[in-house]
Amino acid sequence: MISGFVFRALEGRIVAAVGILLAIGILVPALNLLTPPDSALHIPTYVMSLFGKYLCYALLALALDLVWGYCGILSLGHGAFFALGGYAMGMYLMRQIGSRGVYGNPILPDFMVFLNWKELPWFWYGFDWFVFAMVMVLVVPGLLAFVFGWFAFRSRVNGVYLSIITQAMTYALLLAFFRNDMGFGGNNGLTDFKDILGFSVQADGTRAVLFFMSALMLSLCLILASAIVRSKFGKVLVGVRDAESRVRFLGFRVENIKLFTFVVSAMMAGIAGALFVPQVGIINPGEFAPANSIEVVVWTAVGGRGTLIGPIIGAILVNGGKSFFTGAFPEIWLFALGGLFIAVTLFLPKGIVGTIQHGFKARKALKAAAEAEKGRGGTETVAQAQAAE
Amino acid sequence: MNTISETRQKSLLYLENVSVSFDGFKALNSLSFVVEPGELRAIIGPNGAGKTTMMDIITGKTRPDTGTVLFEDTIDLTRQDEADIAQLGIGRKFQKPTVFESHTVWDNLELALNRSRGVFATLFYTLSPEDKARIEEILETIRMIHRKDEYAANLSHGQKQWLEIGMLLAQEPKLLLVDEPVAGMTDAETAETAVLLKEIAKTRSVVVVEHDMGFIRELGVKVTCLAEGSVLAEGSIDFVSNDPKVIENYLGR
Amino acid sequence: MMIKFFLRVFFLCVVSALALPSYAQSGAGADPRSLIDALSKADFGEAEKLIGQLAATGDARLVPALNAFSEGDLYFRKSDNLVFIGKSAGSNYELIDPVTGASAGQAAKNAVTKIKINNSLRRVIRSAMGGLTLLSPDRGVRLQAADAVLRSPSAENLELLETAISKETDGEVKARMVEARAVSLLSSDRSVDEKRAAIQTIKNYGGRNAIGILMGASASLDPSLKADVDAAIASIESGQRLWDIGQNVWYGVSLGSVLLLAAIGLAITFGVMGIINMAHGEMVMLGAYSTFVVQQVIRDSAPGLFDWSLAIALPVAFLVTGAVGFVIERGVIRFLYGRPLETLLATWGVSLILQQTIRSIFGPTNQEVGNPSWMSGSFPVGGMTITWNRMWIIAFSLSIFVALLVVMKKSSFGLNMRAVTQNRRMASSMGIKTPWVDAFTFALGSGIAGIAGVALSQIDNVSPNLGQSYIIDSFMVVVFGGVGNLWGTLVGALSLGVLNKFLEPSVGAVLGKILVLVLIILFIQKRPRGLFALKGRAVEA
Ligand SMILES: Nc1ncnc2c1ncn2[C@@H]1O[C@H](COP(=O)(O)OP(=O)(O)OP(=O)(O)O)[C@@H](O)[C@H]1O
Ligand SMILES: [Mg+2]
Repeated sequence: MISGFVFRALEGRIVAAVGILLAIGILVPALNLLTPPDSALHIPTYVMSLFGKYLCYALLALALDLVWGYCGILSLGHGAFFALGGYAMGMYLMRQIGSRGVYGNPILPDFMVFLNWKELPWFWYGFDWFVFAMVMVLVVPGLLAFVFGWFAFRSRVNGVYLSIITQAMTYALLLAFFRNDMGFGGNNGLTDFKDILGFSVQADGTRAVLFFMSALMLSLCLILASAIVRSKFGKVLVGVRDAESRVRFLGFRVENIKLFTFVVSAMMAGIAGALFVPQVGIINPGEFAPANSIEVVVWTAVGGRGTLIGPIIGAILVNGGKSFFTGAFPEIWLFALGGLFIAVTLFLPKGIVGTIQHGFKARKALKAAAEAEKGRGGTETVAQAQAAE
Repeated sequence: MNTISETRQKSLLYLENVSVSFDGFKALNSLSFVVEPGELRAIIGPNGAGKTTMMDIITGKTRPDTGTVLFEDTIDLTRQDEADIAQLGIGRKFQKPTVFESHTVWDNLELALNRSRGVFATLFYTLSPEDKARIEEILETIRMIHRKDEYAANLSHGQKQWLEIGMLLAQEPKLLLVDEPVAGMTDAETAETAVLLKEIAKTRSVVVVEHDMGFIRELGVKVTCLAEGSVLAEGSIDFVSNDPKVIENYLGR
Repeated sequence: MMIKFFLRVFFLCVVSALALPSYAQSGAGADPRSLIDALSKADFGEAEKLIGQLAATGDARLVPALNAFSEGDLYFRKSDNLVFIGKSAGSNYELIDPVTGASAGQAAKNAVTKIKINNSLRRVIRSAMGGLTLLSPDRGVRLQAADAVLRSPSAENLELLETAISKETDGEVKARMVEARAVSLLSSDRSVDEKRAAIQTIKNYGGRNAIGILMGASASLDPSLKADVDAAIASIESGQRLWDIGQNVWYGVSLGSVLLLAAIGLAITFGVMGIINMAHGEMVMLGAYSTFVVQQVIRDSAPGLFDWSLAIALPVAFLVTGAVGFVIERGVIRFLYGRPLETLLATWGVSLILQQTIRSIFGPTNQEVGNPSWMSGSFPVGGMTITWNRMWIIAFSLSIFVALLVVMKKSSFGLNMRAVTQNRRMASSMGIKTPWVDAFTFALGSGIAGIAGVALSQIDNVSPNLGQSYIIDSFMVVVFGGVGNLWGTLVGALSLGVLNKFLEPSVGAVLGKILVLVLIILFIQKRPRGLFALKGRAVEA
């Protein structure tokens, strides 16, 4: 049963994508670690971390694609799940600082000492333990998605309304995390990390492993997402997107279907956030900004929603473009991004990958039709010929 | 009183005094209506008579303001939602054909198949030989075996209607509600649909809403005429179509 | 301490008694210049006395000098110990005569020494300045002076106040002065009976400040007055509680009217047309920048018209944002009807472009938009204070609302608009040019957002990000009120505003806002279509 589930996932394109991702995941760190810095092949650590960041964004876009591309839920709050995963990781990294902080308090992170807190708040307990923190990376975003989705999907909030309240959700979290008394470092967030599992987060080796982990998690999530959308469940999902009431009248519990997908997607976003934080070295409330979540939607739309691979490509392309533009022509970046939004919705509604796929499909259909025509045409001509005689 | 309790004993679907209003507009007005097991019933009535609204009530899409809706004499449908009602065995074809356009004909039927519909059951579902045979059987019935790999979006209007009926068959309902199945069909297709519905009705109850009198005649079954949210007349097609109230309200126009 | 105090009071009484008759001719008695120069060698205690003497001169020309003193801008020249107001000018100070205000040349920074100041001196200065201006011929200045005394009462001002009261003809100013006198009197050495009367006066004025004043004074008052003070406080408090609620409602309505302003354009583009216009906030922002540009032009070419700047900005903003909206509809949105989520993305793109355009033209910083005189200031209503700008904004948003309602319900354009949004095909087959109606409807919604921007420029920072701060709130209002229903938007905006302001005192502003958001999210679960939902099949599709 499970093997069937996984086996179905490994359709040609997915295998190829996973292969490429893993190759990158091994090759880039190898070029970083094994070549001398002056070699032409050498990849500097900052470039590797930059690409690692893109891979995390790609995973976030993949997560969004699962709910938006397949289930029709346009979440404008996926940045919140990403940020929560990031905070869970950040809390672990904070606890690892131990007494190396500015104030040297072995238990309390610096910002708590600064705020004159005397003891660790209860929700920080356990985060010094890696396994617990990693479980929380999944559980916290998953739980938020579950509670939110439980209410929203039962009362059949959908379409635009759902988008707007997901946006309100991330906005409320943004405001909340800005508050110092929330206990998450206020608007400075969590930073100044020292090490992860005993390895320095600054070290090239650690960075290389983090990069590889990003590629690996992205591959695994891609396989999982592919398995989901290629199962019967995935077909139901598309049904929900295209004709929700039909699915209901066929006897499916649409709210459970949406809830499951939403939670899985939120967890993927959480993983992305958790891998993101040690590579960029900071997590702050800015990650909750509604604009961030909307940007994820663009990556997905550019790459092609409902294609799984598209969002990955979209995230990497758009963020690559962003890094380039903000470095070279900072003025132009917002024009470019805004223009991209408009252009994609107007001229490329299926996104890059979707358009290519569509082209292939159309060619195939054309060929098939031509062949059928030829076959029928053959018999017809025979028939005509006979009739003529 | 006596007769009502008798009908209650053996009815498949039982509506009594059902009323519903939208912003003060009474779409259904003390509607009472009974379907026996195995019955094929036709419903006619002018636009806005409340035919579709009645189906909405039966399938849990709309809640009645007052009245009783029972399935198999015991199950109160007003307390169940669409998915529950579908699982109880009530299938519905919408007035506007609704199929999964981005799925193939085959996938449409596979989704409709009456199998466990839970999240994990569908995640790990694999097509068994019986299911395959069942889908092929339905494809035969709706005459689409050669189009099974076609995307539903590419089907004609009439073919979508048929596919939707096929999906209902796959659902194996005890009661089938069919809203205007022959709208937009050619005469030949209409005749074929009548045959198909009669065929289907051999093994289950069917309620058909139609405006096409020729089609109703072809079905040759008991007819209920609704107007302004309640039953105007009920009986054979000849009886109903000669009823002066029906002529005035519906046919005469 | 006590003796020193009495001496000072005595001295002041004498000085002011001497000085009073000659106020009109200004500055007899002690020579102000020499009093000021004495500051160069005075310690804090002596400086306090000198300030009292300066106040007693009644010479209003001294106000800038006192002001400079409290700002720490008073210096004495080391060479001759003369005191000047100093303004930094490169490595030098520009020196200004403290009495005449004439320029006195420059001095190197190390040639002068700053005269030290502390907070208790500042308080003395404030009341002295209040006293000095009590006799100004300008009514506004006198009113301000009375307010200043009221804020920092001191017994020294008492005689001055009494003189001023006896001369005052303006009712409002006089009332304020009487109040100030009563407050000052409490800390003076007047008789118990006089103080009792003063307590009554203060009680009658009421207000939150009065409670503070009475509480502060009660410790030093004669024990026989304690009962009077307590009774007065109790009576004020019971009155105040109602006023507090009133004030909260007022703040809430005022916030609600801001929300209404921000949301009302959206109520058309989103509520009526169903377009998720993420660029809505930028329309508001463009309106605010239009105001800025209009004011800029007026400042340069016709400063006299400044009080009219908002009235001029209104049509300008409406046309500018309306035109931008028109272009957006024709250029982007019309290709996306029926695909609401795509519209959301495209208009978000538009919003980025508009923001960046404004940033490129005007820079990323806040722009200074001035308040015309009729927008500034405030007036009391019983125990609450009402500021003019809030007052106008409430009036303004309500009139826009009414105007819009009339356009929608009564004009033929409104009729066409509703026809198109309800049934596009039917409308077009009846000969309505639906594309134009769409474009103009969108332009109307955008134009109204622009007008809102004119008003919001008066209370918010005008920066390229202005729109961003309103967009989520606006959507919340429209969704909460019920899409497609203008009345819903009104009720939604006002109730969210009031709710916010009532939550604020107990949980703080940020948490209050979070709570409101959470409440809206929960509310939408209960009523997915908002407060005043449109019903029917059309909305279910
Ligand atoms: N959700 C709803 N909200 C408001 N009015 C409704 C709703 N559903 C139905 N109605 C109204 O109830 C009345 C009955 O509608 P219904 O669709 O049941 O008629 P019908 O008999 O199916 O007509 P037709 O033959 O045209 O399909 C109509 O006037 C319709 O406008
Ligand atoms: Mg109908």
